Amino acid sequence: MADSTQTPMFEIENLHASIEDKEILKGVNLTVNRGEIHALMGPNGSGKSTLAYVLAGHPAYEVTEGSIRFNGEDILEMEPDERARKGVFLAFQYPTVIPGVSMANFLRMAVTNVRNARAEEAAADGGVAQKMTPREFRRLMKEKMALLKMDDAFATRYLNEGFSGGEKKRAEILQMALLEPSMAILDETDSGLDIDALRVVSDGVNALAGPEMGLLVITHYQRLLNHIKPDFVHIMMNGRIVQEGGPELALELEAKGYETLRAEFAAN
Amino acid sequence: MDATATTTTMTTTLAGFSREAVEELSRRKGDPDWVRDARLAAWETYESLPMPKRTDEEWRRTDLRGLKLDRLAPFAGFNGAFDGLASLDGAAEDGGLAIGSADQRAGLVVQRDAATLHAEMDPALVPQGVIYCDLDTAVREHADLIRQHFMTEAVPVGFGKFEALHAAFWQGGTFLYVPTGVSVELPFRSFALSQEPGASVFTHSLVVLEEGAEAFFVDGYRSETQDRQSFASAVVELILRKDAKLRYVQVQDWGRHVWNMMTERATLADDSELKSLHVALGGKWTKNSIGSHLRGPNTLAEMLGIFFADGDQFFDNHTWQLHEAPHATSDLEFKGALKDGARSVYSGLIKVYEGAQKTDAYQQNRNLVLSRTARADSIPNLEIAANDVRCTHGATISQVEEEHIFYLQARGIPRTEAQKLIVEGFFRPVIDRIPVEEIQDFLQGAIARKVGF
Ligand SMILES: Nc1ncnc2c1ncn2[C@@H]1O[C@H](COP(=O)(O)OP(=O)(O)OP(=O)(O)O)[C@@H](O)[C@H]1O
Ligand SMILES: [Mg+2]
Repeated sequence: MADSTQTPMFEIENLHASIEDKEILKGVNLTVNRGEIHALMGPNGSGKSTLAYVLAGHPAYEVTEGSIRFNGEDILEMEPDERARKGVFLAFQYPTVIPGVSMANFLRMAVTNVRNARAEEAAADGGVAQKMTPREFRRLMKEKMALLKMDDAFATRYLNEGFSGGEKKRAEILQMALLEPSMAILDETDSGLDIDALRVVSDGVNALAGPEMGLLVITHYQRLLNHIKPDFVHIMMNGRIVQEGGPELALELEAKGYETLRAEFAAN
Repeated sequence: MDATATTTTMTTTLAGFSREAVEELSRRKGDPDWVRDARLAAWETYESLPMPKRTDEEWRRTDLRGLKLDRLAPFAGFNGAFDGLASLDGAAEDGGLAIGSADQRAGLVVQRDAATLHAEMDPALVPQGVIYCDLDTAVREHADLIRQHFMTEAVPVGFGKFEALHAAFWQGGTFLYVPTGVSVELPFRSFALSQEPGASVFTHSLVVLEEGAEAFFVDGYRSETQDRQSFASAVVELILRKDAKLRYVQVQDWGRHVWNMMTERATLADDSELKSLHVALGGKWTKNSIGSHLRGPNTLAEMLGIFFADGDQFFDNHTWQLHEAPHATSDLEFKGALKDGARSVYSGLIKVYEGAQKTDAYQQNRNLVLSRTARADSIPNLEIAANDVRCTHGATISQVEEEHIFYLQARGIPRTEAQKLIVEGFFRPVIDRIPVEEIQDFLQGAIARKVGF
């Protein structure tokens, strides 16, 4: 599955980040190539969501050292919306409720921004800018909602307001389906999903993933990885990746827990 | 705006308000004697009442000193030159409230300064006894109804200093009368425009719904911004007899040179229902006093408000939910956004009179402050003299949350657009309560333009 070109798609190098002068990420190295699925695991509070936020460009975190390169380009100085338009997507562990903003309106804005940016890029490369019409958008939204078995009524509801935990996660993947990112980070998308929903959402993700997409899946449980099968597993503790391996590493963790690792890295 | 181009103004030489000015106005308008006498009596009342002071609770945060009454012309020249309704929709293209198409209204009155430019009503309503016209016409043709209802019941002449001034100097205005049992679905619309520099404009809306009558009334106030200060005084009287149902929408979009005072009172008899929306966008300085007298049991007053202040605008909204009878419900929601150096005051009173058991009153004021230099004050009040009631009130003053902006940005939406979306979302629940698409679209557009960034 290795990329044919030399530049890795998504490359995190020696990343240090702090919030309110407290260092959370203490030198993270991680590379995701096109077509690869990576799982990121680790105990509560180890810094997984922090990493996800920093990758998406959350303004509360300060990157003090290191780099994030996307297709060879340093994205650290980019605003979150610019990163998103370039194809980085974060499915939030705790999606935000925004009162008064309807799902449909929000999705249309997001899709228009992201797709138009892409169309312009294509045009700049000599292609034709294909902007989406409102009608095409509605059709696409309906199609993707059906894929995730979401009721049409969600389109008129306010963004995440009153959504159940599982509905919020489904809505995150709906956004992913509409924005077609090339690098997606899913932060505990499985939490809050019932068994059937887990399957629907995983199928949705698998349908989107492919040889062009890189995927970083943050999870605590093997059950998600039974559906979305990782090529690599990384374990984060205390702001660093302390162990890496293949899919067997997740199974091993499931059996033994973090205690042995914790003892081993207690010195840090 | 094209309409201004053809106009020859006929400026009045009078400055300041006086008994002589009342007489002059009355002469020019050709008032019948009883109207002139009523004006003069109101002038006496005006003179007998003290100017509001900063120590009066209602004026504590509202500074009147900038209003230079003695420099204002008390009324504008009577200039009826008009380019037709289409010229108004030209202005609407710059964001004003549109006149809308003829098949979407039951009647239309357009006035500029003191002159009526256009008046129409669906002819099918005439045999049903519906009256919709400007106030001068109403005074001539329906004197009894005007004598009975004009500043006698909802907003009496002696209501306050500026209401008395209004009673002495009222000029424009509309009268809507819907007889017993008649129900009209499409809105009656009134546009009050003002154009003469330095002049005052007095607009009046008198709505009387007899037993079981139903109507929808939309008031729009608009002018282009000018250099010289001007003064707008509006009185809105909404009289609902038993079982009547009224929807009332007011859109205030005066130019930034206007000092604006609006007093509205609704009186609700048994089982009647009022749904009102007040939108304040324009003016330099606005003082709104908006109240509902729930005088009969089983009445319902839904009172909504939206204001958006920018630059150095000042908005003061005082609201009154007056539960005078048992088993009545009032539901008030006022929402405001402020940017730049704008200021706002909201003060609301729920008053439950003795014996008004089973009152259900709700009052909510939310403010979204978009800059460090803008400031909102909110003062909710309860006065309860009955023991079996439910009264809820709440006030919030907040800013746009960075987490919200980040979430939208993470979906590719640029920061300024994200902010716009959030501010629109803030107002959306109120907008959604107005079941008229045209007004919803106007509000959405007006808010988007105000957000600007
Ligand atoms: N605003 C903040 N101020 C101080 N500490 C913070 C702040 N935000 C996060 N942290 C801390 O950063 C650490 C890492 O949090 P993070 O959310 O990244 O953990 P996580 O690995 O995602 O955990 P979980 O598995 O529970 O989701 C935690 O100790 C957390 O308390
Ligand atoms: Mg987390």
